[in-house]
Amino acid sequence: MEKRQKRRVWLVMAALLFVAAAVLMFAGQGEEPAPPPLEVEFPRRMRQPDRERAERRRTQVLPTPVSADSGTVAERPRPRDPLLAALPRGEGKTAVIIEANALRHSPIGGLLMDCLMRDGGKQLKEFREKSGVDPLQDLDRLVITDEGMMLSGNFENARFKELLGERVSADYGEGARVYEAGENSVTRPDGTTVKRRDTSAIATWNNQLLVVGKSPDEVKAAIDRVEGRGPDEPPAISESSTYGEMYGVLSVEMLSRLIPPEQAALAQRLRDVAKNVELHLDASSDVALVAEVRGPSADDVTDLGKSLGAALSLARIKAQAGEDKDLAQLLDFAKVKPDGDSFTLEMAVPLEVIRERLAICRENRQDAENALDAKEAPQEAGVEQAPVPVR
Amino acid sequence: MVTVTASTPAIEVTNLRKTYNRAFRKTGNIALRGMDLSVPRGSAFGLIGPNGAGKTTFIKSILGIVQPTEGTVRVLGGSPEDPRIRARIGYLPERLHLPGSWTPTAFLATVGRLKGLPPDAAGHLSLLERVGLADAVGRKIGGYSKGMRQRLGLAAALIGKPDLLVLDEPTDGIDPMGRMEVRRILQEEVQRGTTLFLNSHLLAETERVCDRVAILADGRVVREGKLEDLVRGESRWVARFAPGVSVEALGSAGFVPARADGVFHVEAPDATVLNAALDRARAAGALLVELRRDGMDLEAVLLGTVSAQAMRAAEVAA
Amino acid sequence: MSPVLGIAGYVLREAASRKFIMAFMVGLTLVLAVVALGMRIDVIDGALAASRLFGQEVRATIQSVDVALRPVYQASAFIVFYGGILFGIVACSDFAPSLMSPGRIEHLLALPIQRWHLLAGTFLGVMTLALGGTLYGTTGLVLIFGVKTGYWTVGPLVAGLMACVGFAAVYAVMLTMATLVRSAALCAAAGFAVLVGGIIAGHRQDIAKAFEEGLSRSLFQAVTLVLPRLSALAEAAGDMAASLPLEVRSLGTLLVGVFVFGLAALVVGFWRFEGKDY
Repeated sequence: MEKRQKRRVWLVMAALLFVAAAVLMFAGQGEEPAPPPLEVEFPRRMRQPDRERAERRRTQVLPTPVSADSGTVAERPRPRDPLLAALPRGEGKTAVIIEANALRHSPIGGLLMDCLMRDGGKQLKEFREKSGVDPLQDLDRLVITDEGMMLSGNFENARFKELLGERVSADYGEGARVYEAGENSVTRPDGTTVKRRDTSAIATWNNQLLVVGKSPDEVKAAIDRVEGRGPDEPPAISESSTYGEMYGVLSVEMLSRLIPPEQAALAQRLRDVAKNVELHLDASSDVALVAEVRGPSADDVTDLGKSLGAALSLARIKAQAGEDKDLAQLLDFAKVKPDGDSFTLEMAVPLEVIRERLAICRENRQDAENALDAKEAPQEAGVEQAPVPVR
Repeated sequence: MVTVTASTPAIEVTNLRKTYNRAFRKTGNIALRGMDLSVPRGSAFGLIGPNGAGKTTFIKSILGIVQPTEGTVRVLGGSPEDPRIRARIGYLPERLHLPGSWTPTAFLATVGRLKGLPPDAAGHLSLLERVGLADAVGRKIGGYSKGMRQRLGLAAALIGKPDLLVLDEPTDGIDPMGRMEVRRILQEEVQRGTTLFLNSHLLAETERVCDRVAILADGRVVREGKLEDLVRGESRWVARFAPGVSVEALGSAGFVPARADGVFHVEAPDATVLNAALDRARAAGALLVELRRDGMDLEAVLLGTVSAQAMRAAEVAA
Repeated sequence: MSPVLGIAGYVLREAASRKFIMAFMVGLTLVLAVVALGMRIDVIDGALAASRLFGQEVRATIQSVDVALRPVYQASAFIVFYGGILFGIVACSDFAPSLMSPGRIEHLLALPIQRWHLLAGTFLGVMTLALGGTLYGTTGLVLIFGVKTGYWTVGPLVAGLMACVGFAAVYAVMLTMATLVRSAALCAAAGFAVLVGGIIAGHRQDIAKAFEEGLSRSLFQAVTLVLPRLSALAEAAGDMAASLPLEVRSLGTLLVGVFVFGLAALVVGFWRFEGKDY
């Protein structure tokens, strides 16, 4: 009997332990779904939306060339993207395209908009009213080149004349108008005025393109390239490389200037070894950057890749040691992939990290908007409550 | 606290019943049907009986391996459930399974450790020597013959100088010379004061080693006593009948056929019972040629007892 | 406690004599030796620049060595966890049935030890074996990669220990099964069942959605509430090995929970074993 009781104790104990185990496992694992791990998709190739986007942009139909000798009509050329055609030609040039519209509608774009509109959108509103251009609606792409800047989009409502008042304008080519700067009167702090000559020039093309250059010749050259009068060399960015929210080629010289001074040796090696660098930045979810560095010597390029990888690793170790969690997390995704005479550098910032960093912008924007609402509300109320004058 | 006196029996079993319940069956398998037994301390006690009589169940009951359905079991003055009691028992199971990859010394060391004894390598070696395994100390158990394994099992049972030795078929597989050795060891142990409880189908072995014997049949102790009393055969007679006698008819008169033709045994505690049996035999047509008191061996005692028990059971059933 | 240790020693000695356990240890050593001798890793300023196995490039990407080793350690943790449990189920399935075989169990039960000591000792012996094997493998891996890359982490060791806790839950059920039916095949089947149940239990929230709302879903949730959450533990072990943030709310609580499940299963075994005739 005593034995039977002893056995029952085991059974009771087992039941209690099962209950305890269930409670502990329930509490330990947690029932809410685990947040997905940080993953970043790198822009490594053209994806279907990129291809469709490139296809939609082939809006420019060039006239079919006629052979001067035989008078025969050559094969009809394919429609093309005028912006790509306007890009500088040849090696060693810099051209970076920012997909303003896509970026605006990306998660990071939303965060950047918060920062841009920290004042509640007051400045933006003023610009819109003055220029007739709504950057949020009308701007499609922004290109930065060695020579200047290009903007593409819908500029039908733009009031160029009001904006570029003192400039001298003239039609150029088939659908372009070039605005050359004249003499500008500049008021000095002591009150005297002085006349200065500004050499910069702006060209518009079919209300689709706006080219800003250092000189009229440069903007005219860009228009020539668009209208098929440029050199035969391919544009700095080929259509097959138009993926990501920001992409393009950077001259080695420019890239090495972006490297911090403490990495001067690395910058010099980059200058020595690399020929050009192709960049792609994807912001459709996280911000991921892929840079392809190419050079004439495979061994030198591989060595440079290793040095770059080591520098990134060292930076990560420093960030970890210095408890800079954000930077360490950013560098977590950094890697170099050697591939013969080129290597690819991948870096990323998870969206969550950016969101945390830019949270202050959203708060500021909300505060500003609330303040504006509060300001407008009493006025509206005042109008309603104002006594109606009796005739 | 267990108080043990010299008069306390080494094993004391009262109304011991054991029924093995089987899954999905209403009735269980009855192994012991109310067994009473007392084994005096210092005795060499033999348990004999036919197959299925419940001997192994009984041994397992006194070691706590099998839990009784009913009744009480006291061993060395305490319950076999108590590890302190079991620490004083040496046990050799019927078919001891030994780890083949071990050496005998490692096996004995493990048994010693599990018995809570301090390490005693020298003691273990002398034990191995005592059971005749001195030459095989370095060999793995897997290479041992059946007899050698039995000897090792005996050595394991002897570890810690137990007060009670429970041996189930200890000489199974051992050659005649080895049996003599084992017998000598057991006798030495009894002389030392150890109580020996022996279950062996080799009745000659039991006869030579034990001074008390119990006969178990159908889950009950049917006879128990000093060996000399059992074999004296006071109540057992040998009768020889003229040829042509009917065995069935004599059987129903209480006569059990012996090995030789026409020779029968009959149990009769007094002259009245004896003559009544003879009258029944003669009534069945048997002609008595010779009658003498039987001086029996243990086998005969067992056979006679079990047959008589079977008849009584049949009568009860009828 | 001494009888428990005695039985554990008995089981370990038995295990040492098993050829396939020895073969497993030899195999593990060979794998580690192949990795140690055949793998060449170039590390520059903490970045894994190149890795070659017998001269063949196995990884071309250059990145921080700890990040580069994450998949290796994570995969190792999963192999140790699931592979270890599977091997343990197969290798240890007949320990308890053989200990309970006729001729051996009577001898053991006649010794002055409590019955539960016998089960607890067997459990302890097998767990010591599992722990030894796991620590041997994971320590070897950490040492090899540590020496070759200069990156030292205890993550894989901790992951290995977590795998042992998972196996404890599985083996406890196997041991309890042995007290019900003395069959190595059934013990292994029980082990597999717990492993599969444990994988399901770890993903119970996701799987529950597949059940129709009502009784069936509630039943599924009730059953999986008690089962050890092995897949959750395995994923945590993978994260731990790779030094990644954990997805579980509290690893310590989960670990204790899984271990307590093992203890509960073992105690059921004690209950059955105490009342069993041999």
